[in-house]
Amino acid sequence: MKNRRKFKNSLSGRLTSGVVIVSAIIFTLTCTVFIRMAANKVREEAAKHAHSELSNTIHQIDAVLNAVEIAVENTAWLVPYRLSSPDFMYSITERLLQNNEFICGAAIAFEPHYYTSEGRYFSPYSYRDEKGEIRSKQLGNESYDYHYMDWYQIPKLLNESYWSEPYYDDGGGEMMMTTYSKPLYDEYGHMYAIITADLSLEWLTELVGGIQAFERSYNLMVSRNASFIVHPDHNLILNETIYSSTYGDDDESLKKMQDDMVNCRAGQVLRDMKGGKYFVFYSPVETTCWSVAIVCPRNELYLGVKKLRGFLIILGLFMLLLMMYLSYHGIRKVVAPVEDFSDVAKKIAHGEFEAELPEIRSQDELKDLHDSFEYLQKSLVQYIDELKYTTANKERIESELRIAQAIQMGMLPKSFPAFPERDDIALAAKIVPAKEVGGDLYDFFIENEKLYFMVGDVSGKGIPASLVMAVTCRLFRSVASYHDKPEDILTSLNDSLSDGNESNMFCTAFLGILDLKTCELAYCNAGHNAPLIIDKNGNVSAMEVIPNLPLGLFSGFPYQGQETKIDKGTKLYLFTDGVNEAENNEKEQFSDERLVSLLKANADIAPKEIVEITFAEVERHADGANQSDDITVMCIKIS
Amino acid sequence: MKNFISLLCLVFVSSIQIHAQQITFTPQWTPQSQFAGYYAALENGYYSEAGLDVSIVHPTASYSSMSMLKDGTSDIITSELIQAMMTSDNDHGLVNLLQTTQHSTLVLIARACDVKQLSDLAGCRIGTWKVGFSEIPHMIDEEQHLDIEWIKLINPLNLYIAGAIDATLAKSYNELILFSMAGITPGSVLYFSEYGYDFPEDGLYVSEEFYHKNPEQCRLFAEASRKGWDWVRNNREEALDIVMKYVNEANVPTNRYNQKWMLDAILQAHEDIKGGMPSYSLDEDAFNSLNEALVKYGYIEKPVVYERFIGGNR
Repeated sequence: MKNRRKFKNSLSGRLTSGVVIVSAIIFTLTCTVFIRMAANKVREEAAKHAHSELSNTIHQIDAVLNAVEIAVENTAWLVPYRLSSPDFMYSITERLLQNNEFICGAAIAFEPHYYTSEGRYFSPYSYRDEKGEIRSKQLGNESYDYHYMDWYQIPKLLNESYWSEPYYDDGGGEMMMTTYSKPLYDEYGHMYAIITADLSLEWLTELVGGIQAFERSYNLMVSRNASFIVHPDHNLILNETIYSSTYGDDDESLKKMQDDMVNCRAGQVLRDMKGGKYFVFYSPVETTCWSVAIVCPRNELYLGVKKLRGFLIILGLFMLLLMMYLSYHGIRKVVAPVEDFSDVAKKIAHGEFEAELPEIRSQDELKDLHDSFEYLQKSLVQYIDELKYTTANKERIESELRIAQAIQMGMLPKSFPAFPERDDIALAAKIVPAKEVGGDLYDFFIENEKLYFMVGDVSGKGIPASLVMAVTCRLFRSVASYHDKPEDILTSLNDSLSDGNESNMFCTAFLGILDLKTCELAYCNAGHNAPLIIDKNGNVSAMEVIPNLPLGLFSGFPYQGQETKIDKGTKLYLFTDGVNEAENNEKEQFSDERLVSLLKANADIAPKEIVEITFAEVERHADGANQSDDITVMCIKIS
Repeated sequence: MKNFISLLCLVFVSSIQIHAQQITFTPQWTPQSQFAGYYAALENGYYSEAGLDVSIVHPTASYSSMSMLKDGTSDIITSELIQAMMTSDNDHGLVNLLQTTQHSTLVLIARACDVKQLSDLAGCRIGTWKVGFSEIPHMIDEEQHLDIEWIKLINPLNLYIAGAIDATLAKSYNELILFSMAGITPGSVLYFSEYGYDFPEDGLYVSEEFYHKNPEQCRLFAEASRKGWDWVRNNREEALDIVMKYVNEANVPTNRYNQKWMLDAILQAHEDIKGGMPSYSLDEDAFNSLNEALVKYGYIEKPVVYERFIGGNR
């Protein structure tokens, strides 16, 4: 039964998480861009729609205004022909009303005292009464001096037709209206009257108020003097302006809107108003420069976008969950062989080198992994076979070496005290090879009351050195029997070792012959460390030696011997370079100085103890470092 | 006993009402903050506390307060000082009961930039009120032979927008804010008060005849009016509520923002020439300077006597 990994600790889980996170980021970014584009599009479409509605409305307003203008033009020509008959003017104003159903009042307002008989005020005026019937009256009087009304004064001063700003007329119409005024001139170019047509703005209120561009939008209209003409809040009409009603607001969009609206420009702004943000779309009426506006809550425009965003979020979450499920299972299917390989690896680790690999039919990385495992298995089998063979060989060699070591050590005298029957001499020696067998040697024997002793060190280590050491030991024993002098013994040894020494191995050695009766010492050194003398006072000094050459290098080399007298109580200390050159882990050598100090400190103890202390100190100095060379110490005390 | 006391009280109250002087007061224009002190005095009962039964009747564009005073429709009116001085003559003298506005609020709004003085508009069309208030600019025009075409009008706003006039006279508390509310940024605004023409304007007036017949009532009316103005100065928002009530009753096309601006400007113009609290008295030096100018330019034949104009030693 395979162990199921937890989602977060499995490769499938992590890959799935990665895929889902990356997908979520991409989806979010895509949706954000999409939503923004959609919002922009919606705003553009809303603006198009609003301006289309405004355009239609304005077209209708212009159509009515133009019809009024045409009606006035088509009637005004009659006035000059009937000037002689003031009363006929009433017929003309009535005719104007008859010509256009939108016109609610019409007047021909004359200059002061144009007709002497009529006085200062003469303005025949026709209007529709409550029943829609056309009535006429003279409009001007002291209480209603029309000469100072905008509809009279402005066209007179401008010498051109004029649409008045909407006003509440209490002089004739008794309603909010606008008046189209056309100045009339005599043959001398003097203006003598203004013919007017009043247009009730009730239809305008209905028309503009009736625009339903958006569900919750409302509409308004302002005149050139910024007064509200149409607004859902009727209290604002002709009382407030777009400036007074926004007193205290000071944002740029408001200023732009206000500036545009009173200067006959179309546009749109987004405004912060009570209840949130509102889009205001506005466009001017060309004829009068009034501005019609549609005000729509921004939320309403973006309602569709908001719904879309909500839908996308839900869809996205669903898709991500689906993707997570499919990815996880898909990836698990793909990486399942990896788990099988893992199991195989464990089996191999447990020695089942030929465990069955999962079957891979694809030619992808898993196939490479399969092939690699297969190669690994084969290599491991082959390696293990080789290792078995090598190990067997090694064990055999080690066994042989152990035998060789026993043989080698058997060649050396190792029974101490060496001469228990004698009390005039104490001798101790010890050898510790660096490997199973070594190249160091020592030997000694007494013959004819003379102590023959030798310490040597064959170059190199291991088996070759041990063989030379064995040969040297044997030769020493046999050659020493025939010579009395150390130099002769070494010369003979050198000659024997030099013959056929193809491998150029050599052996340093110190050989001494101590006359136990006279305490005279004859000795010869063959390239070996000078022995140390520990006198009975505890002084330690190196014996003076002629170096000569190591044995085995040059046949026929004439070794020079030396002689000296040894005082009783003096100790001779012989050693190989494995002692003073023993290294610790920091590659620091034991050193001659330390050895001398050691011997000084222990000058009074027996040779055997000196030997043991030497090895103990060298081991302490090495501090676990591998022994790099054979170590041999011999100590002789003459009593 | 209780019934007897009640009867006495009823008789007492009735006697007060019977003896309350009925006064018709007419400001010089339709309802607006310019007359807030009088509305406040009426609404707060200051007139009735003074034993006056005051009713406020507003004029129309063609039926001015001065006309109403002359024909006896009104007993007390407000008027600008110049109009009152020009109206006063030996037979129909007017008496100043209270001088509310101490400074000139006359301004010139011009389309052109950098108009520093009236002479910069020589030969131009300038709007002027049909009902007056324009004597000072006319005097300057006459003196400097500027050949200005003065266009009499009721409201200059639409004429200015339509381009029918190049500039217009205006009141800082009225037309100037109307222009601002219409989104108009004038090229130049010239304050006459800054050019040596800082004459007092609005005041309370009665005919000499009414004044001599009802001196106590005139004093009480002036005192109550002054009290009304003092209350307005300290209670501007409440005063605006009262003004808006009158405005709405008269269907005056305006708004609270407009009236607030106007009230602030009017109260500022009430402050003493030396910058202190309103003195409500007519400065004799300013009166004499105006007298001299009016005589010089023929607006009056002979100087109006200050003492007589203020009703003797008050």
